[in-house]
Amino acid sequence: MRRRLALRRAAMATILIAAIWLIAVKGGGWQQSYPHFTYLSGWGLFGLMLILTAYNGRKKLPFIPLLSSRLWLQVHLYLGLFTGVVFLLHLRWSWPSGWFEAALAFLFSTVTGSGIVGWWLSRALPPRLTTVGGEVPYDRIPEVVRALREDAERVALGAIPAARTTTLSDFYASRLAGFFAAPANFTAHLRGSRRPLNRMLAQIGEVRRFVNSEEGKSLDQLADLVRSKDAVDLQRSLQLVLKGWLFVHIPLTYSLLLASVAHIVVVYAFSGGAR
Amino acid sequence: MSAVALAPDRPRRWSVAFSEDMSDAAVQRLLGIAPFRHMNAASFPRSAPLADILRNDAGIRRYKKGEIIVREGDYGTSAFMVVSGAVQAVLSPGLPPAIVGRREPSRRGWFSTLAQWWGNSREDEVLRSKPGFGVAGGKSRSGGAEGAGIVLQDIPRVLGNHRTAALVAGDFFGEIAALSRMPRTATVFADEDGTELLEIRWQGLRDLMRHDPQLRRHIDGIYRERALATYLSEIPFIRRLPEEAKQRVMAATQFETYGDYDWSGEYKKLIQSGAMAAKEQTIAAEGDYPNGVIMIRAGFARLTQRHGHGHRTISYLGSGRVYGFDEVAHNWRHPLDPIPLQHTLRVIGYTHVLVIPTVTLEQVVLPALGPEDFPPSRVGRQEARSAPVAPISAPGTHVRGISVPAAFSGGKSRTLEESPLPVEARVDSELMEFLTENRFFNGTEAMLIDMDRCTRCDDCVRACASTHDNNPRFLRHGPVHENIMVAQACMHCADPICMIGCPTGAIHRDAFEGEVVVNPSTCIGCTVCANNCPYGAIRMVEARDESGRILVASDAKPIVKATKCDLCLDQYGGPACVNACPHDALDRVNLNTLDDLAAWLRR
Repeated sequence: MRRRLALRRAAMATILIAAIWLIAVKGGGWQQSYPHFTYLSGWGLFGLMLILTAYNGRKKLPFIPLLSSRLWLQVHLYLGLFTGVVFLLHLRWSWPSGWFEAALAFLFSTVTGSGIVGWWLSRALPPRLTTVGGEVPYDRIPEVVRALREDAERVALGAIPAARTTTLSDFYASRLAGFFAAPANFTAHLRGSRRPLNRMLAQIGEVRRFVNSEEGKSLDQLADLVRSKDAVDLQRSLQLVLKGWLFVHIPLTYSLLLASVAHIVVVYAFSGGAR
Repeated sequence: MSAVALAPDRPRRWSVAFSEDMSDAAVQRLLGIAPFRHMNAASFPRSAPLADILRNDAGIRRYKKGEIIVREGDYGTSAFMVVSGAVQAVLSPGLPPAIVGRREPSRRGWFSTLAQWWGNSREDEVLRSKPGFGVAGGKSRSGGAEGAGIVLQDIPRVLGNHRTAALVAGDFFGEIAALSRMPRTATVFADEDGTELLEIRWQGLRDLMRHDPQLRRHIDGIYRERALATYLSEIPFIRRLPEEAKQRVMAATQFETYGDYDWSGEYKKLIQSGAMAAKEQTIAAEGDYPNGVIMIRAGFARLTQRHGHGHRTISYLGSGRVYGFDEVAHNWRHPLDPIPLQHTLRVIGYTHVLVIPTVTLEQVVLPALGPEDFPPSRVGRQEARSAPVAPISAPGTHVRGISVPAAFSGGKSRTLEESPLPVEARVDSELMEFLTENRFFNGTEAMLIDMDRCTRCDDCVRACASTHDNNPRFLRHGPVHENIMVAQACMHCADPICMIGCPTGAIHRDAFEGEVVVNPSTCIGCTVCANNCPYGAIRMVEARDESGRILVASDAKPIVKATKCDLCLDQYGGPACVNACPHDALDRVNLNTLDDLAAWLRR
């Protein structure tokens, strides 16, 4: 199975590289030989964009046998890279000067760039999520956070009667309440930094000097809850990014398609057809 | 507009009878013939009187000569009794599939498939055929008489080329499949025109047996007799024996049953108590003298070996697997160098076994075997003493005798004669423990997710919802071992205990491939299946009408129905969840066999 997959990937990559090489080497010649080359490459580019966008349509129609999503994604990736080369050829390897064409080129670049970033994220982040454990479906994270907060408040307040002091509850109110109130440390989790967690655990260590043995047990429970909340925050941060990049990629894709249609109309309206 | 809609009434067990044409006259006629004539109606409870069982759980079927009644390999949840006429059961080897008209299950047509684009309701769980309101159908084909309509064309040739057994009025058949949730073991066809059969769904047969000891003894007797012959014929070294020797083996073979048939409740208690392997009943213990060869017939058993002060799971054995043959064979070949049992066999939930005593094997079976039938003669007394534990992943690790390949080469379609332990069939012991502790080995279509690849995009969940009334039939959540999650989706168990308590037979095996499916037309929402399922794979949902209003019964409580994964049986292309995964992270894997799991892990 792995060998077959590797062979398929190698074959796809070879075809892609060969196509890019052919275009890069011969592209200039084609532009010289064929006066309507830009017209052809433009329509080709538009067709490729439609095929790439169709992947989103396939996802909406799972009950129609339109091949597996896995196959679509592979084609989407390789065809996307190929489309990037066709795009450069269409631009004649230079950035357009008109504001509309420049905006269109920027849109295309952003869509391609967000796709590449998304592909990298989808490869890099899942193993991190698995490693940290505590798997929680994204939709259930608020519920889990609320349960952790309630547990933490119960532990902090529960220590008061036995200890007859408010050391622990004061510490909770001043240092931990904000952490438990909402998702936290988004960027730190993205970077893979453990600093916020270590800082909170160190603060818990500091306050240990001022509590008795009963409160110490509650402090241990709070430390465990802090670790659990941190794991949930990490899950939320990475899952949010894994879902969020599509909210850039897909709207921009449809914007690009609309702008491309406008571009085609403008080309035909004002230049008597592409040359 | 009201958020709820009043349903005609809450469906009950007998809201929809098994057969619509079961008249009072037909019931009276049945009550006048054996064995019902001899039954004491007073011994039946008021909630399930004898006449009502016959009226609602049974039906009279009529067949013409040559018409197939049940087919070998099909799943069925009903038994039959010959009322008049005669039938023939084709003994092993059975008829070729083409002759008995085996065909793929029906799927949607192309237009129907496309029409889902615009035709699917926008509301969740819209109940088009209301449960128990007399609307038959659905995609289930459990409604009995599964082989009906197919006629054998050349009966004399069938009778000439195959061994058959004649059944006459009063004889029962089909009870093995009905009571054990296993495939039909023989094809049965009508031998006379107008043959009348009483078909009883298993819930009715269960009640009849429960309240009539004589019928229970009778069914138990024929079950033992027929099942034993069938089961023993699955063991290669028995199959090759002369008929006389086979009879001697059959006479000496013992049936033994361990654990609870309905093990779900006990399992849930075990989970809560946190005690698992230690509490499992032992069938045979490592270090003991091998008293015989044990063949698993139903359920599962755990194979363990001492490791330190505990026991490590080596494998789990399912239906058809054999334990203890190597030791018995070794001791027979090397009487001066005997070895004890090398592993412990423990009950997991419910286990039904056959035991062929050592003395019978030594006198009847072993002398008749050729050298190729014996395990490699590398088991030495010294080796057995000094190297009881080898890493499960180490090449050459084996469970002795034919139980080795059997243990690792299981699955619906495999036999004991198939390949020895393949190189790739290595699953680390921690994963084995995980699968065993959670009893996931029961699943033939377990949903495994590689969490290192899964981007948590939920495309699988959305695809499932799109193909199932806007409500996904699984949760993308479940126990995780390293990077492998076993999601809460119906695993289409080899031993589907969810079916045990269903009062109407709404949850049943599909006749063709045996997938466990729910017929919404006959589901009464009693929640028995959902409570029985140890994996939390069945969910009760509130039914709605086309405008999205929740249907409520006259008692003002909502109408609920059981929902679960049906493997997209009626869709082209197989399970939508698998097809929707862009990253090849999700697949449906048969955990009965470690080969499939190992292949998936190495994909």
